[in-house]
Amino acid sequence: MGKRKRGHPDVEEILSRPWCYYCERDFEDLKLLISHQKAKHFKCDRCGRRLNTAGGLSVHLNQVHKETLSQVENALPNRQGLEVEIFGMEGIPQEILEQHRNRIIQNFYQAQEDRRIATGNPPPGQSKNPRKKIKIETAEELLKRFAEYRAQRKAAAANGGVMEGVVQTGTSFPQQGFNQPGFPGQQPQTPYNFSSDSLPARPSANPVGAQGLPQRPTQPGFWNSSAQGAAAASGDEIDQLIRMAEAGVKPQRKPEDGEEAGEGKSKKEKKGRMIYDDAEFSPEEKMAALPRYAYTPPVGA
Amino acid sequence: MAPATQYELSPPPGDAVSAIAFAPISGSKLLVSSWDNKVYHYDLTNGPEASSLVTTYEHRAPVLDVCFGADDNEAFTAGMDWTVNRLNLETGELTALSKHTAPVRRVVYSKSYGILVSASWDSTLNLHNLNDPSSTPITIALPGKPQAVAGSPSKIVVAMTGRIINIYDVKAIVELFQTGGTELKPWQQRESSLRYLTRAVSCMPNDAGYATSSIEGRVAVEWFEDTAESQARKYAFKCHRQAAPDGDGDIVYPVNALAFHSAHGTFASGGGDGTVALWDAEAKRRLKQYQKFPNNVAALAFSNDGKYLAVGVCPGFETGQNDYNGAGQTSVFIRELGDNEAKGKGAK
Repeated sequence: MGKRKRGHPDVEEILSRPWCYYCERDFEDLKLLISHQKAKHFKCDRCGRRLNTAGGLSVHLNQVHKETLSQVENALPNRQGLEVEIFGMEGIPQEILEQHRNRIIQNFYQAQEDRRIATGNPPPGQSKNPRKKIKIETAEELLKRFAEYRAQRKAAAANGGVMEGVVQTGTSFPQQGFNQPGFPGQQPQTPYNFSSDSLPARPSANPVGAQGLPQRPTQPGFWNSSAQGAAAASGDEIDQLIRMAEAGVKPQRKPEDGEEAGEGKSKKEKKGRMIYDDAEFSPEEKMAALPRYAYTPPVGA
Repeated sequence: MAPATQYELSPPPGDAVSAIAFAPISGSKLLVSSWDNKVYHYDLTNGPEASSLVTTYEHRAPVLDVCFGADDNEAFTAGMDWTVNRLNLETGELTALSKHTAPVRRVVYSKSYGILVSASWDSTLNLHNLNDPSSTPITIALPGKPQAVAGSPSKIVVAMTGRIINIYDVKAIVELFQTGGTELKPWQQRESSLRYLTRAVSCMPNDAGYATSSIEGRVAVEWFEDTAESQARKYAFKCHRQAAPDGDGDIVYPVNALAFHSAHGTFASGGGDGTVALWDAEAKRRLKQYQKFPNNVAALAFSNDGKYLAVGVCPGFETGQNDYNGAGQTSVFIRELGDNEAKGKGAK
């Protein structure tokens, strides 16, 4: 046990281990498996002789002890039959082999996933979990971008609402629709527009816009506030996402752990169904109460 | 050379088996008490081929227990007719020794002091002084209904409902006979280690302790000695369970019978699942589990020389059952044990 390799073997290694058809135990090598089978499943309970196969044991019991073998000892309930001739790994029916393989694979990935969740470490061979990294970066970047963006907004607002309004009307609607992915592209654009438009184009553009669209005066304000509000809101959302990513995931996992622990507990204290469960009266007392067994003391006895 | 096989006694009892007892001297003579009002006397010397039944002793009512007395020709029976009987196996003569006010569940004979203890569902023990046949039995009130009784050379263990276990010192019973009192204090009163109704008790032949079993697939092993070390040694374990076919938990069977092997200090347990297992009480290990019997195991007994294990098999009584008939489904199996079959392997 202490010699066991540190770390966890990969799935191929586990799949290549020989295992016992009768009890599903796996072994280091075939020799061990065979000696296990001889000791646990093919041992004569009369004289202790270890046979090589269940058939061998059956013949032995029959000839030496005049008994018939009805099932393989210490076997799983559905593997006690004598029909299959097993020796080591030989003779295991194909579908059982496949079942075992699937079970091992499933268990392996389950165990790997459990370990990953429990330790927070990536599985071996994938030292860096790209998904996780990207997630964090995006969130940070987003925050940074939001901060930059807000600063720019503020600066722009300080520069003059009128000019800004024009610029915004031109770009704002797609921007709103764009959401986060839109920002990276948008940001360089805004300063550029701003600087280029602010000097020559703006004075002309603004009156036109104001005339053409009567609702314009309110819109910049509306947009401004709502944009900031939206930015703030989506910022909050992202903050929340980040917070979730940092802390929120754990609480999410905890109930899972709890559930697992709960399941484990319930498995441990498996609710047994008792064949007989009267705490006061023994089966004999119940039987005694049946008319079949009733005894009436003879009068005067 | 090879030990004979396991075989079924023929003819089998006509209804459920309540108890099996081997003779104290001959290793091949045994009595089986049955719900069909009879006690069956078998002899194993002729082996599996011949009929083993020597004779039967008819009682007035179902017989709930049987035990041997001072020699191979004396036995005691307890039954539904509230009576404790002495049975002369040679003449078949049945003598009533005492009467309870309810069916008598168990009789235990203490060879070293010539005392017969009977336990009845009227929550009393009757103590019979067999050394003085003219004496009247003393009745002792119990704090609960006795379910199982077992004797060791110096103790009588009475397991009752309400998880009460009283351990009586046989010497105190002898003193009681001398003083003629009617008060008998238990040497020890214990609470059962098992949470459910006690089903069977058996004492270690070396007088060190006892094992109890419950209706909830569990066996506990305890020691008499009332020291912290001895009490710390006691343990209990689950057995006689089967995984439910739907995969949801276990089906838990009652452990109906316990019997210690006279020489090896190992014991056998028999359960409602139809299996008999051999356990090493000291090493806390299972030595063996025999192939399933066709029905619930109701009674077990090792022969005095430890050569045979008798297994009484009949349908089990389950919760919710409102009829019972063991006729035709009852049998007594005899297993001839190999030399080391019931021997402990030693602690690992």
